[in-house]
Amino acid sequence: MKQIKLFTVVLLLAIFSSCEKFQDFQVNPNNPTVADPSLLLPNIELRAFSNISLDAALASRYLVYTQSSSNSQYYGWQRNSMNYADISQVVKMEQEAARVGKLNYRYLGKFFRSYFVVNMTQIFGDIPYSQMMQSIQNGNFDSSAARPAYDKQEDIYLGVLNDLKIAADSLSSDQTPIGADLIYGNNIEQWKKLVNSFTLRVLMSLSKKEGNGNLNIKQRFNEIVSNPSKYPLFESNADNAQLNYVDITGNQYPYFNSNSVKTDYYLDSSFVDILQEFKDPRLFTFGMPTTASGLPANNFNAYDGLIGSAALAYNTNKRGLGKASQINDRYAYDAINEPSVLMGYAELQFILAEAVVRGWITGNADTYYKKGIEASLQFSNFNNTYSSATIQDYLAQPIITLQPGKEIEQIITQKYISMYMNSGWQPFFEQRRTGFPEFETAGDGILNDGKIPKRWMYPTDEYNNNAVNVENAVKSQYPGGDDINGVMWIVQ
Amino acid sequence: MKRTALLFMIFLLFCAPGFAQNTTVTGTVYSALDSTTLSDVSVVVKGSSGGTTTGGNGTFSLTVSSQATLVFSSVGFTTLEVPVNGRSVINVYLEQSSTNQLSEVVVTTALGIKKQQKTLGYAVQEVNGETMAKTKMPTAVGALTGKVAGLNIINTTDLFQNPSISLRGRTPLIVIDGIPDPTADPYKINADDIENITVLKGTAAGALYGALGVNGAILYTTKKGKKGKLVVEVNSSTMFQTSYTVVPKVQTQYGNGDAGKYAYVDGSGNGTEGGGWIWGPKLDVKDPSTPSGYWETTQYNSPVDPNTGQLVPLPWVSRGKDNIKNYFRTGVLSTNSVSASIGSDRGSFRASAAHIYQKGVVPNTDVNNSSFSIGGNYNLTSKFNVDAKLTYNREYSDNYPTIGYGPPNILYNLLLWIGPDIDIRDLQDYWVKGKEGLQQKNYNLSWYNNPYFIANQLLNGYRRSNSFGQVTFDYKFAKDFSAKLRTGFNQFSIDQDVKEPYSYIAYDYISRGNYSITASNYFDITTDLILNYRHDFGDNLGVSVTLGGANAYRIEKAVSSSTDGLTIPEYYNLSNTINPIRSSNYQRERRTGSVYGMIDLEALKFLYFSFTGRYDKTSTLPVKNNGYFYPSFGVSAVLSDVLKLPEPISFLKARASWAKVNTGFINSGDPYAHLTTYSIGQKWNNVPSLVWPTTSISPDLVPETVSSGEYGIAVGLFGNRLMLDATYFRNKDYNNFVNVPQSQASGITSILKNANVYIRRGWEFMISGVPIKGKNFKWESGFNFSTVHRWLEDATESPDGYIGTLKEGDRTDKIFTWESRTPDGRAIYETNGMQAWSPYAQFFGYDDPDWIYGWQNTFTYKNVTLSFSVDGRIGGLIYSTTNQKMWWGGTAPGTVNQFRDDANAGQSTYVGPGVVVTGGDVQYDSHGNIISDTRKYTENTTAVNYISFMQTTSGGMLNNYFYYKGSYLKMRELVVTYNFPQKWTKNVFSSASISFIANNLFLIAKLPNVDPDAESDNLQTPSMRSLGVNLNLKF
Repeated sequence: MKQIKLFTVVLLLAIFSSCEKFQDFQVNPNNPTVADPSLLLPNIELRAFSNISLDAALASRYLVYTQSSSNSQYYGWQRNSMNYADISQVVKMEQEAARVGKLNYRYLGKFFRSYFVVNMTQIFGDIPYSQMMQSIQNGNFDSSAARPAYDKQEDIYLGVLNDLKIAADSLSSDQTPIGADLIYGNNIEQWKKLVNSFTLRVLMSLSKKEGNGNLNIKQRFNEIVSNPSKYPLFESNADNAQLNYVDITGNQYPYFNSNSVKTDYYLDSSFVDILQEFKDPRLFTFGMPTTASGLPANNFNAYDGLIGSAALAYNTNKRGLGKASQINDRYAYDAINEPSVLMGYAELQFILAEAVVRGWITGNADTYYKKGIEASLQFSNFNNTYSSATIQDYLAQPIITLQPGKEIEQIITQKYISMYMNSGWQPFFEQRRTGFPEFETAGDGILNDGKIPKRWMYPTDEYNNNAVNVENAVKSQYPGGDDINGVMWIVQ
Repeated sequence: MKRTALLFMIFLLFCAPGFAQNTTVTGTVYSALDSTTLSDVSVVVKGSSGGTTTGGNGTFSLTVSSQATLVFSSVGFTTLEVPVNGRSVINVYLEQSSTNQLSEVVVTTALGIKKQQKTLGYAVQEVNGETMAKTKMPTAVGALTGKVAGLNIINTTDLFQNPSISLRGRTPLIVIDGIPDPTADPYKINADDIENITVLKGTAAGALYGALGVNGAILYTTKKGKKGKLVVEVNSSTMFQTSYTVVPKVQTQYGNGDAGKYAYVDGSGNGTEGGGWIWGPKLDVKDPSTPSGYWETTQYNSPVDPNTGQLVPLPWVSRGKDNIKNYFRTGVLSTNSVSASIGSDRGSFRASAAHIYQKGVVPNTDVNNSSFSIGGNYNLTSKFNVDAKLTYNREYSDNYPTIGYGPPNILYNLLLWIGPDIDIRDLQDYWVKGKEGLQQKNYNLSWYNNPYFIANQLLNGYRRSNSFGQVTFDYKFAKDFSAKLRTGFNQFSIDQDVKEPYSYIAYDYISRGNYSITASNYFDITTDLILNYRHDFGDNLGVSVTLGGANAYRIEKAVSSSTDGLTIPEYYNLSNTINPIRSSNYQRERRTGSVYGMIDLEALKFLYFSFTGRYDKTSTLPVKNNGYFYPSFGVSAVLSDVLKLPEPISFLKARASWAKVNTGFINSGDPYAHLTTYSIGQKWNNVPSLVWPTTSISPDLVPETVSSGEYGIAVGLFGNRLMLDATYFRNKDYNNFVNVPQSQASGITSILKNANVYIRRGWEFMISGVPIKGKNFKWESGFNFSTVHRWLEDATESPDGYIGTLKEGDRTDKIFTWESRTPDGRAIYETNGMQAWSPYAQFFGYDDPDWIYGWQNTFTYKNVTLSFSVDGRIGGLIYSTTNQKMWWGGTAPGTVNQFRDDANAGQSTYVGPGVVVTGGDVQYDSHGNIISDTRKYTENTTAVNYISFMQTTSGGMLNNYFYYKGSYLKMRELVVTYNFPQKWTKNVFSSASISFIANNLFLIAKLPNVDPDAESDNLQTPSMRSLGVNLNLKF
């Protein structure tokens, strides 16, 4: 019996002698649980500023894809995805900022939230807004937090504009400085310029609602433009809100060495036509001369495009004959190429020009417009392909000068050229708002009955996880159901 | 803990006092078969309950009346009664029992405890190590393919890849000599060291391994020295992979290019080079206007005209018809082992060494695998025995092929994306002249790599050292009561590196050279202290009580570093990096403490009950719920021992068991899965970042639970010439660790909690027997088949009973696809003549096989034995990437047709089979179920360009969207052995045999071009037939 007792003791000792060790393993030695907000900012910036999208370029008739039938190019798309996970990171940054008392991060947070929300509402229409982020913000997991209701687009824009105003009013160089800022090197003044310039973009995107009494678009626009000391705006390309690429693996231009950019993307003929008509030297940095032409790169006749709406076989055939201008080499062969632009000085000038034309502000539309064009030509002048004299010659052409009655078309067309492969889906949304330039849809390959889609369908995960609310949102907005041709409130 | 105390009380109650004594008898018990001593033989005095069991050296000592009769009994042997007649030394030889095999079979169960199979309430199947002595697979576990009902071994055709193991639909635990091997490296155990493999199929069987054993276990028992005999064994097999069991068939009539055009410019792939497709011009077209007489175009090997500086066109002919056969070489699998063992009264000893060499069919690939092991046991005293074993194993390869669809895969570059216009042998010299080390030579430099360049320059090195072993101390306090302390460990270190040459083409980057190293270390240790008490209370009640405690700890560390570009090409060293080195590391530790108990009761000589209970405490759960208890219960009734059954029935047993197993391991690889932390985000220009997870973790996590019921019957007929065994099981998986999704607008995408209920159900059948048994000829045969499926029973977090597209009551292996189809499965087309897509994924079919089966046969005629094994599966769908890409890329033979010629001529003549929607509407609910469908269809009539059609749709609708019926039958192995007659081998060998062996002889399958054995296809190496010779010598 003694032995049994001894064994019992040994047994129990062996098993539970060091039970406190179990607690020791409750800490993950590999990853932290708290962090300075400066460690969250870079990822948020990367998410917000990585805008370059080939799909957007196909849908916007800049490029044509030759590997297979592309749904973006033929307008046969269906769903898009939401990116609330980006806003979750913003919330976490705001929480860490509150923990350490670094308030500028919180105001930057207001900007980033607004930016991500605007991106999503432009894609879908109504989305969850007033009830979003409850689980991460308040640790609330009940059904209303887990399945937030959808807000009207009008209310979303009102909230966004108010948030942007708080950010504009509150960001301050007197506060604790920020760190690890990949965009402006911790310069708060430049961030303020971005917040204000971006606010003008949001207001211009609501141009169809200029009479809306809740939003007071004109008044808000004027408040910013008329008070440059309180609400500074971009002053040159140096203020561009853009992400510069670096020749380190993972930090390079997103299509650097992309096999398919090397072989399958060619300029759209409608885009080539515009550039040829304007004798626009940016053509030389956007595309490559065709092999069949045998002409040098600085000859406008060396370029020819494929037809975005034509059947694939037409395009592969023309390409096989060496008669199609490929996307410029620099997009696949240069590690840095050009930055990804969230919003640039050129766009701001085009917005101001349009605001003058629309009578929102006073000023000279042509001056703003030409400053915008000049800034864009400077931005796209890869490896100094063209001289500054060429830029001035271009601006001096009568065809470029604003002509009465055609101002909006000219401004938006120049904005369209300036956004080639650098501003994501913005040119598509501008076309949706203004109808310029006209996207051709006459070819045999086109889907969606030849219509240019107005939106994307809501993602499947919302139908799975938030069915009642997404279904209600569809019912209240789109009589034809969740459809890519549904017309959302901002463009009604 | 209360329950543990209770178990202890029961244990103490049964602790019986000794008995009266007269004279002392000692002796040794031997096996009559080979004169080895037998331990654990029960020696009792007839008519009383007193007695003893023999020790490790077969000896016993007992004080009895000098007129008593001793009864010697042991599992597997005929009981022998010996009168003492005043003797003080009695040595006996026990005959192996043969009469009623089924009731005497002994199997190794959990914790290494041997039990009679007839007492078990759950399904166990044992495979003798002899079956894998002749025919060789790269891994020992591969030899189990098709041999165990319910065990699905999924073999791959790729070199140095693990077979995946699925037992009743889940991955079982691997146990080597009683020590769990959570790392489950199938290469580390030497098949020639294996005495036998026991498969514990159910949850009840694994209950005593705790959570690790929740999915059953495969127990390897290694060989030990046998008493009294020196045995030296040499076993040598060499197999050659000389021919193909399955090899993809490609078209040889059209070359590289697109839209029927091709002209090489600079390898960039754009423009007239056609984007890397194999949809180019027809080959071997006569053209009297050219010097060669064939149509000519510029090609990658065109010479440059010194006058014009232009490439000179070359004839466009099918030089590469046999590219696949020309590229692959004969593979070799060579296995050599030697072992020596001996035993004496005090103990035994065995040492072995083995080497496996595998030469891959891909040039410059091989695997070496060496094992050394030493083990033995020794009786330190008559009561105290020690058993120990230590194995060292080293696997090493300087290069093995990369698997999966993509640019580093050989088949990608050799099968899919090379046209027959290119003779692969011309690429053997794989550097561009003058740019050696910098630029590979290939016909396309934007998408593809030269397969010789990949094989010789993109090098995956892998060197792994395994050590594992155990020490067991056994102490017998009294005849009824013993204690065992066992401690065992698994250790490995892996040194892995990848050398990536300049100009290697990956998706989205072209390498400027890279070198990466991963070094990882793993160690686990498991210690068990087990007390056992067994006692027979007369004839009708026997009790065995086992009580144990266990402690398991593991630690894993790894460091990975990689250059970002190489300053000097071909100098593979981290210091040679261009940009800063990229590096990461981790450390993972976990601990589990357990106490457990087991009570076995034998009643009325035919009823056997077993109860187990286990309490675990683990570091991998939140502290408040990290301790938990789970029980099991089993009963077995050998009805043939009590009932008078009709004549043909010689054995009948019914069994049932119920078990519950809790597991606290949320993620077997990550012991910190219950803790929320930042993760490391992307570094930008050397600025670091962090990302907060969008998955939240419930603080109320409790263990995941499987509760399992299992019912079986075993029948022996005609004196057990024919045996049948059937098992039905039903497992309920609940409290699963699930990331329950919620609207991402809430700020998190999911919350980790206990949720959902699944049911796994299945049947396993075994039929075995000896159909013919003559004087010189014997035929033994065994057939098994099994089925298992899993159903979603309750989606506990979904108010409407769905998980994604899966609805309560659905099988979980449902396949959903997005291609738009009519209710009767016809393709629906868009107005532009291409496949239409559905806004919701629609049910397409099932993935799991309906049945898997295996059939083994052995024919013995005098000195010759022929055995073969066939196995396969019936039903279920397998998606084939190889076939899809062949149709997409233009290499499938089915793409050779008139439409292709039309497309090459620029004509659109192909009309996809199916329909277009002409009116009406289809409505879906939010789960994608069709709630109303008024669509009207007419036949699709839109003619499109055949090449565009294939590039856009891959012709999915022509090939069931590349989901092929998975049914197949495979001739897995064939062995013909000649045992040399004793008279020849006398004085030299104790036995000798030579065998002709073959693996993978042939295949009958629905799936074209690839081997369905792997149950999936993501561009696999061709399936090879292996033929060879085995020589087995015993001295």
